[in-house]
Amino acid sequence: MKFLMPIVIFIVTAILIALGTAGATRLGATTGITSGSALPGLSSSARTPEEAVGKLLNEIQKRNWAVAYGQLADNSNVDLDLFTRDLTGTNGSLRTLSGLESWELQPLHATNQEAQIRTTLRWSTAVGPIRDVRDLNVVRQGDVWKVVWPVPKFPNLPAQIVPVTYLRWDLVTPNGEGVWGDRAVDAPHVRIVSMNAVPYQNGSVVMGEVVNEDTIPAFVNVNASLIDRGGKSMAEESSFDKISHVLLPKQVSPYRIDFPDVSFQDVKNVRMDVKATLVPASADPVIGIMNQQIESDSDGRNVLRGNLMNESGQAVNIPHVIATFYDSNGRVIWVSDGYVDRPLLPQLPEPFAVELPGPIVGKVKNYHVVVNYYNNSKS
Amino acid sequence: MWSSTTTTTPNRSAGRAAFLLLAATGLVSTSFAQTVEMRPPTAAIAGQPNAIQTSGSGEATFYLLGPAHTSKQLVNLGHEIQLPADQLRAAGKYLAILCSSACQSASFFVTAASPASLSFLVHPSRVPVKQENAISGVAFPFDKFSNLVLSPVTVDFQLKLSGGDSLSRPTPTQHGVAWFRAYSGNHAGAAQLVASLGDLSVRRVVQQVASDPCNLRIRAQRTAKGILVETEPVRDCSGNPVPDGTIVTFTETGPGGKSTVDMPIKLGVARVELLASAPAVISVASGVVMGNELRLGAQ
Amino acid sequence: MTRHVLAPGTMVMLALLSLFLLSFRAGAADFSPASTPQIEINTVNSGPRAMEALTQQNVVRHYGRAWQSLADAFDRNTLVSLNDYFVGAAKDQLTGTVKEQQRTGIHSRYLDQRHMVDVVFYAPEGDVVMLHDTVQCDLEVYDGDKSIHTEPAVLHYVVLMTPGADRWVIRQLQAVPQF
Repeated sequence: MKFLMPIVIFIVTAILIALGTAGATRLGATTGITSGSALPGLSSSARTPEEAVGKLLNEIQKRNWAVAYGQLADNSNVDLDLFTRDLTGTNGSLRTLSGLESWELQPLHATNQEAQIRTTLRWSTAVGPIRDVRDLNVVRQGDVWKVVWPVPKFPNLPAQIVPVTYLRWDLVTPNGEGVWGDRAVDAPHVRIVSMNAVPYQNGSVVMGEVVNEDTIPAFVNVNASLIDRGGKSMAEESSFDKISHVLLPKQVSPYRIDFPDVSFQDVKNVRMDVKATLVPASADPVIGIMNQQIESDSDGRNVLRGNLMNESGQAVNIPHVIATFYDSNGRVIWVSDGYVDRPLLPQLPEPFAVELPGPIVGKVKNYHVVVNYYNNSKS
Repeated sequence: MWSSTTTTTPNRSAGRAAFLLLAATGLVSTSFAQTVEMRPPTAAIAGQPNAIQTSGSGEATFYLLGPAHTSKQLVNLGHEIQLPADQLRAAGKYLAILCSSACQSASFFVTAASPASLSFLVHPSRVPVKQENAISGVAFPFDKFSNLVLSPVTVDFQLKLSGGDSLSRPTPTQHGVAWFRAYSGNHAGAAQLVASLGDLSVRRVVQQVASDPCNLRIRAQRTAKGILVETEPVRDCSGNPVPDGTIVTFTETGPGGKSTVDMPIKLGVARVELLASAPAVISVASGVVMGNELRLGAQ
Repeated sequence: MTRHVLAPGTMVMLALLSLFLLSFRAGAADFSPASTPQIEINTVNSGPRAMEALTQQNVVRHYGRAWQSLADAFDRNTLVSLNDYFVGAAKDQLTGTVKEQQRTGIHSRYLDQRHMVDVVFYAPEGDVVMLHDTVQCDLEVYDGDKSIHTEPAVLHYVVLMTPGADRWVIRQLQAVPQF
């Protein structure tokens, strides 16, 4: 009897091991774990288009660029260096700080000789997951299916000199405490110009816009507290990265504060708090947002698309797009944000897209986009 | 049922003897304990030496506890206990304790000396022009030992605005503080504020800046690349130029969608070149102020 | 008959728990409600700016903590307690006093503090507030372990407080005979 427990544990363990090793995964592989039927160290041919794409993505996930490159249908069209740069990113972009986490495959069409697979790649990045959808062509060569990798296009940036004449603000901090009253440089004056609290997905969201009314740059953070019927604070959150933190004079930024665990029905009041501090800043780079339009993407999601144009002479490593959506009364009804995982090179357009929740689309009358950015090196 | 309680009466003769012994001891100790009196100072000023008169004879331990001072020393009773100036620098309540066989205490207050400095707080450091009660100042007089001078003194506030306006306002302190409020001038520039008290004078500068842009207007002209859009010199409603670096947002709406550029003002003007395809509507805004719209027809 | 024997690990845990409870009870006096100052505030005379309700709450809370840390500093002759709620002249003076107490072996106690605080000035920009505080407390002074002074004290203080990064701090703490 005393051996019953160890026997039961042994049997259950054996069953779990068998379940784990048997059968192919349906979704993408977890990082570091090989999926598919091939055992590590042994190669096998891809007998279906999905298998070909899956094998390729496996190697990409493991960052075996040469092995992945060797699996392509026609290597002569795509240089190994270009192929690697297409996947690893350049110029300190968000892609350089990313890893392929998982993927989904959706066959679009297939014949005996060729097929097209819609591949949704999920990159794990420093700022959260990023979705990348590519339609990959797969061709059959003999008994083996291989992926035709689209030739990556890297813009040819001509050498040029771009003078920087925009204003720059520096902050001088005095040493020591000094005499009381002689070090008064007031914090920048910022003001919340609008606030709208709405229910969203069993939680609550507070959003609006904030303006820097001062003549100097401000580092801004917006906090909100949700107050219940008894006057007590239920939750307090910050805008985190759903705001453009550095605001130049008279610049307006949206903000969005999420309370996923607080039901909107319990909220009686919202207390807002905006904090602004002095910060050195530069008016360069200027980033234009061109050709903005609300469309549906290939997956049927509503997105606001456009192009970012870096008007300056330095690359922007990690652009961050924040979009404000207004109804016919000019009220802020949603704030979306998204990161672009490619750098903004000077004078070259780069596409972006931010998603818009379905119920909001019909109410949108106008929108405004701002671009935040993070650079690896200080300007 | 009866319950009985037994009480034992103490030995009366032994108790009486103990009482007599105690009384005798008390009398003896009383005859040896002396009346020690302290006469603390009545009007002590910070930073000025003083003394405490004592009576009695023999030695005692003297303690002085003050806001910034604690000391302990052996003293001879019947003599003055000198309190040097450096022990009485802080204004406040002092506790003097004298312990020989028993401890006695007395307290006295030290008041602030004459004003030797002014703390002058002025807000804001930047203020838009033409604002009512926009500038405020608060002054606290302190003596040379950082004690707040609570006796009334008159602080003279002077404000010199850029553009020539000036005002002077003598204000007596109340509870050790004097304050004022003033309007900001019509012209951008540095406003000088001075708080004076006798020979003491403290100066502060408030930067008067332009208010929100007023009559924001743009004009456009076609170029080889697209459309060059430029604002007229951006000024506030008083005619003050809005500072360089202020952001002006240009928006172009056309068949290809909407394009926006946040452009900083440079040399009083903001300009941008848009790759606009006509027809298009071009508008401008700065902060919460909207400007005019331009409608460009098809080429 | 079944013998129930506690495992060694369980016995160790019970022993540690008992020690913890004993030490907690022994130190209970340090956490007694009497050590928390009681503060009543009156803002009727506040001017030229009216004191906001939230500011009032914060001032009361931080002023109480300041006095609590002052009492702690003077009782245990430790300077660390003065770092959080005192700046400028107030901190310099209190620090000097505590250092001299350390040198002389004296320590003092402010027990059962009750503060009646009157806001007499609140700056237009809200960056300084002046309080008139009438403090009732039991003041005890010791030379080592020997009590040299005990009195139920009534003290009057003029206080200047200014906002710090995340709290109100005392910049000036000056006793006066009366207001």
